[in-house]
Amino acid sequence: MALLKLPINAGRLAVLVFTAPLVQSGSGQPVPEYEVKAAYLFNFVKFVAWPPESLGSPSDPLSICTLSDNPFGDALEAALAGKTFSGRPIVSRQVNGAAQARACQILFVSAAAERSFRAMASDLKGAGVLAVGESEGFLSEGGVINFKLDSGHVRLQVNIKAAEGQRLHISAKLLSLADVVKK
Amino acid sequence: MNQLTLQRPRKTIVAMAVALSLQGSNRAMADMGQPDLTSASLEELMNIQVTSVSKKPEALSQAGASVFVITAEDIRHSGAANIPDLLRMVPGVDVARIDANTWAISIRGFNSRYAQKLLVMIDGRTVYSPGFSGVYWDQQGVPLEDIDRIEVIRGPGGTIWGANAVNGVINIITRTAADTQGGLLTAGTGSEESAESLVQYGGKAGSKGQYRVFGRYFKVESSPLVTGENGFDGWHGTQGGFRSDWDLSPRDTLTVQGNLFGTSEGQTITTLFRNNLPELYTLNDKIAVATGNVMGVWKHTFSNGSDATVQAYYDRFRRWDQALDILHTGDLDFQYHFHAGAHHEIVTGTTYRITDHSYTQGYEMVFGSGHRVDTLVSTFFQDQILLTRKLSLTLGSKFEHNDYTGFEYEPSAQLVWTPARHQTVWASASRAIRQPSWLDISSDLVAASVPLPDGSVGLVKIFGNPQVQAEELRDLEIGYRSQLLKNLSFDITGFNSYYRNLETYAPAAPFFQPLPLPGYLVLPSYYGNLGRAHDYGIDFSASWDPAPWWRLSPGFSMLHMDTAVAGSSGAQLVSSPGNSPKYQAQIRSQFNFPKGWEWDTSAYYVSALGSGIVNTAPVPSYTRLDTRVGWSATEHVQFSVAGQNLLTPRHIEFLDGYQVVPTYVERNVVGRITWRF
Repeated sequence: MALLKLPINAGRLAVLVFTAPLVQSGSGQPVPEYEVKAAYLFNFVKFVAWPPESLGSPSDPLSICTLSDNPFGDALEAALAGKTFSGRPIVSRQVNGAAQARACQILFVSAAAERSFRAMASDLKGAGVLAVGESEGFLSEGGVINFKLDSGHVRLQVNIKAAEGQRLHISAKLLSLADVVKK
Repeated sequence: MNQLTLQRPRKTIVAMAVALSLQGSNRAMADMGQPDLTSASLEELMNIQVTSVSKKPEALSQAGASVFVITAEDIRHSGAANIPDLLRMVPGVDVARIDANTWAISIRGFNSRYAQKLLVMIDGRTVYSPGFSGVYWDQQGVPLEDIDRIEVIRGPGGTIWGANAVNGVINIITRTAADTQGGLLTAGTGSEESAESLVQYGGKAGSKGQYRVFGRYFKVESSPLVTGENGFDGWHGTQGGFRSDWDLSPRDTLTVQGNLFGTSEGQTITTLFRNNLPELYTLNDKIAVATGNVMGVWKHTFSNGSDATVQAYYDRFRRWDQALDILHTGDLDFQYHFHAGAHHEIVTGTTYRITDHSYTQGYEMVFGSGHRVDTLVSTFFQDQILLTRKLSLTLGSKFEHNDYTGFEYEPSAQLVWTPARHQTVWASASRAIRQPSWLDISSDLVAASVPLPDGSVGLVKIFGNPQVQAEELRDLEIGYRSQLLKNLSFDITGFNSYYRNLETYAPAAPFFQPLPLPGYLVLPSYYGNLGRAHDYGIDFSASWDPAPWWRLSPGFSMLHMDTAVAGSSGAQLVSSPGNSPKYQAQIRSQFNFPKGWEWDTSAYYVSALGSGIVNTAPVPSYTRLDTRVGWSATEHVQFSVAGQNLLTPRHIEFLDGYQVVPTYVERNVVGRITWRF
């Protein structure tokens, strides 16, 4: 991943672009926001423990869902393709409403879907759903993890109380890297 | 509130919509041999610099209409200083500047300074003037930094939006107060001695609300008249406004917003004076505008997922422009959206609008008694039916009552088929109407004075006609959208539009008018509905990301108009078909370099305007080149330099200004600084 941090000289890049627009040289480029967010969602599977009853049988897939709105395009599906965790396949799908969302292990709430989430947050209480959002007020509405853009980096904010309410155990490793709020 | 119905289909289709713009980068990255991000550690993920590619969730990729969305990102990259210049990026929208404060803007033909088949809204507030059914673009003030997106539908939208949404709908949607928290200062100045500045602050209002307040000033210098003399079209404007958004409860949101806007403008006009006939004068004249509006929107979401919205607004303008024109509008709107079973998604709504309009005697024009109050009542119903998983049918109609033509209906049907995940094929059939305006029924206009063989003077006058009917459009469209490759998507629409009852003026028998002395022979024409037209053409747009940091957006539109006027009465169409270009093409390039550098370039080609039937001289085709370099020095401070119309020192875009003498569009360079804190 060090490659991703390689700084690129803007002037040189401009020349490059005009001489060979498709040259394979963009390794130091910034990465589209939602590819990073998709990678985070996949990573959360490793750092969060769900209550057993919300996981179904050992062969059931783990579902990473998007609520109403999927800003990832294909990025989430691509990130999860062929991935498993403890023998369970990891799948992505889109859900609408609390009833469908309760069957998800991770529920991603885009900024556009925040209002829908707010209206159904109380119906998700205790369902063992890791609600991940990307809006300023998300944690105060019952969200567990929030993506915060900070100088072009995607940082994490975690609401411990909400995690407890969902009976989720978040690893200390993840917490140590996140801004933790308790409310 | 009607924009909500535009948003609504989006929610169900976003997966695809976003794919259109996001995947490109996905593929490009894979091609470049990037490591798999999912194998990165949390720490590594945190250290990755990300780009926020414009998401375009608004691409409405399953809408059964020809939709284009200008995002906030597009606005920033455009370097444009006003809304008309932004609209140039929409293929099929015809933007022509007449002078520095006057534009002719239309979609699918019938362009004119008084283009009247377009519905324009700001946050759901209708901004066309019922006096002539057109838009005074100079009095629509919105800070560009506060625009979330501009949704443009090319083609009819009467089923939801009602009368006047004949050839297109433009809805300018501003950001919520939550999206504009903190301070914002912008300042800009240009080579044409233009200046612009915005001061804005957004904060929290208690624990449940946010607000923003802003003040804005701009100044635009005069440009030379097409006749070569110095122009008088310089203008400046001052605006102040606020928006607040409240979460009353988890299920209730309330938005209250308002603003005051004033301008002082100039124009050079060629006019007759009713009280000083028959000489034709060319003079520099002042325009003064004061507008204000306040609006509230309350939305409640029910636990079953349905929602209801109530919207109310009051809008008022006072315009001195050869006459004193004052309009008060009050509007109350209710909308309900719900699911009925698994296969029906229904939107229904009702609108009540009252307008109080007064217009004093103008230089050439008188409107009836000078005062008029109108009410408009309408209701609509629309059902989106999922026939199969891949096929949906939307049926609906507006039912409307206006004070000019009484009861009107505007039905539509759209069939949307998504055979594969990234392909949509759609077809639609609809009827839309333009209700007559006050001008159409009651104007009394002295259009020209002509010397007669006997040495006396005749006056060509155009009179309104109380019998005038609504203009009608029956429209058939098909469209196809595809994610051809992961980084290449396109959208093409073909339309076939049949217009009936198009407005015409037809000469009638001359009569003698004794006053003012010494009396004149009047050669009258009356408004009528003798015109027909058949338009067809295409709108095409594409988006290609050659690399994650580079987007190319080509667009193309073609329009063919066949018009006819019934009978042998010598009637003429009010809207000359020659005023709309047959072809428009454009390409935009957006680079996002590291370290906050951006470089954007766009080129627009507009084909020649023909010499129309009335008043029109030919306008040669032109190509307009704009470019912009932006640099985010820090997270808070951004600099940009934008050049417009760089190819030639000056060009003409439109000549048919009615009385307004057009001015040249000049080359212009503007530097801006934006500071957020």
